[in-house]
Amino acid sequence: MGVASLSRPFELRYPGPVEEAIEEIARLLDGEYGLAPRSVALLLLQGDEEVTELVAARQPEVPPRARELAAALDARLGEPVALSVATQRASWARKVASEVMQERDGARRGFGEVLGRWAMRPLTGLLLAGLVLVVLYEFVGVFAAQTVVDWTETRLFEGWITPWVNRGVAALIPWPWLQELLAFDYGLVTLGLRYAAAIILPIVGAFFLFFSVLEDSGYLPRLALLLDRVFKGIGLSGRAVIPMVLGVGCDTMATVVTRTLESRRERVIATLLLALAIPCSAQLGVILAILSGVPGALAVWAGVVAAVLLLTGFLASRLMPGERPLFYTDIPPMRLPRLGNVLTKTYARMQWYFLEVLPVFLLASVLIWAGRLTGLFQVATAALEPVVRAIGLPAEAAVVFLYGFFRRDYGAAGLFDLQKAGALASGQLVVAAVTLTLFIPCIAQFSVMWKERGPKTALAITAFIFPFAFAVGWVLSRVLAGGLF
Amino acid sequence: MLNNNRWQQGGATRPGAATERPQRVVRPASGGETEPAGSSCCHSATGLRRARQGARRVVLVGSPNVGKSALFNALTGAYVTVSNYPGTTVELTRGAGRLGDEEVELVDTPGFYSFLPVSEEERVTRHLLLTEQPDLVLHVVEAVALDRMLALTLQLLEAGFTVILVLNMMDECERLGLSVDVAGLSARLGIPVVATVASRGLGLDELRREVALHGRRILEPAV
Repeated sequence: MGVASLSRPFELRYPGPVEEAIEEIARLLDGEYGLAPRSVALLLLQGDEEVTELVAARQPEVPPRARELAAALDARLGEPVALSVATQRASWARKVASEVMQERDGARRGFGEVLGRWAMRPLTGLLLAGLVLVVLYEFVGVFAAQTVVDWTETRLFEGWITPWVNRGVAALIPWPWLQELLAFDYGLVTLGLRYAAAIILPIVGAFFLFFSVLEDSGYLPRLALLLDRVFKGIGLSGRAVIPMVLGVGCDTMATVVTRTLESRRERVIATLLLALAIPCSAQLGVILAILSGVPGALAVWAGVVAAVLLLTGFLASRLMPGERPLFYTDIPPMRLPRLGNVLTKTYARMQWYFLEVLPVFLLASVLIWAGRLTGLFQVATAALEPVVRAIGLPAEAAVVFLYGFFRRDYGAAGLFDLQKAGALASGQLVVAAVTLTLFIPCIAQFSVMWKERGPKTALAITAFIFPFAFAVGWVLSRVLAGGLF
Repeated sequence: MLNNNRWQQGGATRPGAATERPQRVVRPASGGETEPAGSSCCHSATGLRRARQGARRVVLVGSPNVGKSALFNALTGAYVTVSNYPGTTVELTRGAGRLGDEEVELVDTPGFYSFLPVSEEERVTRHLLLTEQPDLVLHVVEAVALDRMLALTLQLLEAGFTVILVLNMMDECERLGLSVDVAGLSARLGIPVVATVASRGLGLDELRREVALHGRRILEPAV
């Protein structure tokens, strides 16, 4: 035991001239950079910005010398030194890996791998994507949004909790203003809690479960690769599809993930498209539920939203200056999701979602209650009514859009409520669903946009989305007035 | 299914037979060990200015989607989202991990392909390595993709970090009929190599043992 018996960590020697340059710079460094001098020298030679700044702040004479040496090396090697170094390392890594890895006989390609390859080919990939959508629709739109919500909303709340709360409140509390806060049409329990717990949670929970399975299987990056062509057309790289696909889970989280995109241009376009045309899980689930009763409605909704997504992305990429991104994505192996993992993840997401959404829903109930007491609510709905009427919706729908200001899913839940009450015709449902999908993101997403992209971009995006959502709704209502439904 | 535990038995393989590893002097510094060198920058959200005292800091790094978050969860008992989807982790996550009697600070980082960062989330990880002086770096790689991932191990060693290479997803290798000579790899690299399947908790005891063997990274004044 002892120092002598320990081997030293391996160190790769680069070609002579590179090593000389490394040594020269390493000697110049006074060594206070958190990394070994050799590594700092290599990063300087490769032109790394952060390290160059760090060194320049302490030893301003070093980075210029490193640039000189790098330029001399580039000329001598006939390629950028950064590339030469990376190539050296990669070939060393391949050599070591081939020495320590062996393929045994009987290696077989699993079904997962075959499926994984199908998922990326245009024809089979599109078929598979279609199949996934059908299963999603059956599971979230039919099973969760109809069967489960029928239990939680119709039986549990409407049949039991709501009447009970209404009777209790009416009997125990003498003041109508307080009665209204807790119960009846806009009460904390009868509206806020009901929307959050009985409508949104089952739908979102089912979606999260489904999404977790997809996510763990490795299918999503393949879908991203498949969609890459389309997305490149609108100026985004295959990598940009990752936040887009994640956005279907939660736009807020996806907006954070746009950090993985390389250029600011891509990040801004992705943020805009997420805010505008990617429905989040809660919204998607409720919209699937609302439109599932009307044949063709879902197709019209999907077609319009997809068209808006592609067109906006296309125009944005034309209008925003910048380089076209390189194609780039990482494809993990297909894996059979592990049940424990999927359940934990679904649970963690549902918990996170519910805790985030419940206070907002309750706060919205209180605000609506206060607005009704003061008359502001009536003023706001009255102001929205002409707009709502212009897109062919009944006046009651104004309330839904007012909810939408708080959260898109809150608005969607309101729409669900209206539809159940039979207040909307088929064409109106489609118009409302499209407008609400395009409508502003929830407060959480807005604040993330603000944080990640800065106030100017966030406000500009929002200012674009407001009139645009209603304009699309208006056009659609004119088209549908021709009598599609 | 795993039908043998060839690569698990005996746990981690390390170069030499030493059971005690001397603390490696990594980089000379003049300012004692209170403030990370060059931390004039401002990243308050990540708490980079923490003084170097208390628990040892162990950082998980590696390409996206190799199971860093799964390892983090397994070692800390916390829960951060894990998925088969590159780029799920975009921020640093910190947690406490127990190794016998010792508590270490564990940091989960966004995916990191190379020491020369390209995207914002890679910069987050590099910045952490640059300013926080981890006592130990666990480089997590997907065993099947060893050839693509070893280049980063090399760069971590060049930078002077104390590194343990974690070959995760060994079950994937098994399935594809690939075997890895863990001892040979360890000898080639001159660092400990541990094989794991983080999603099923395999190999974690060995990893814990190996982490516990490493002392604090000490900073000595420049000669």
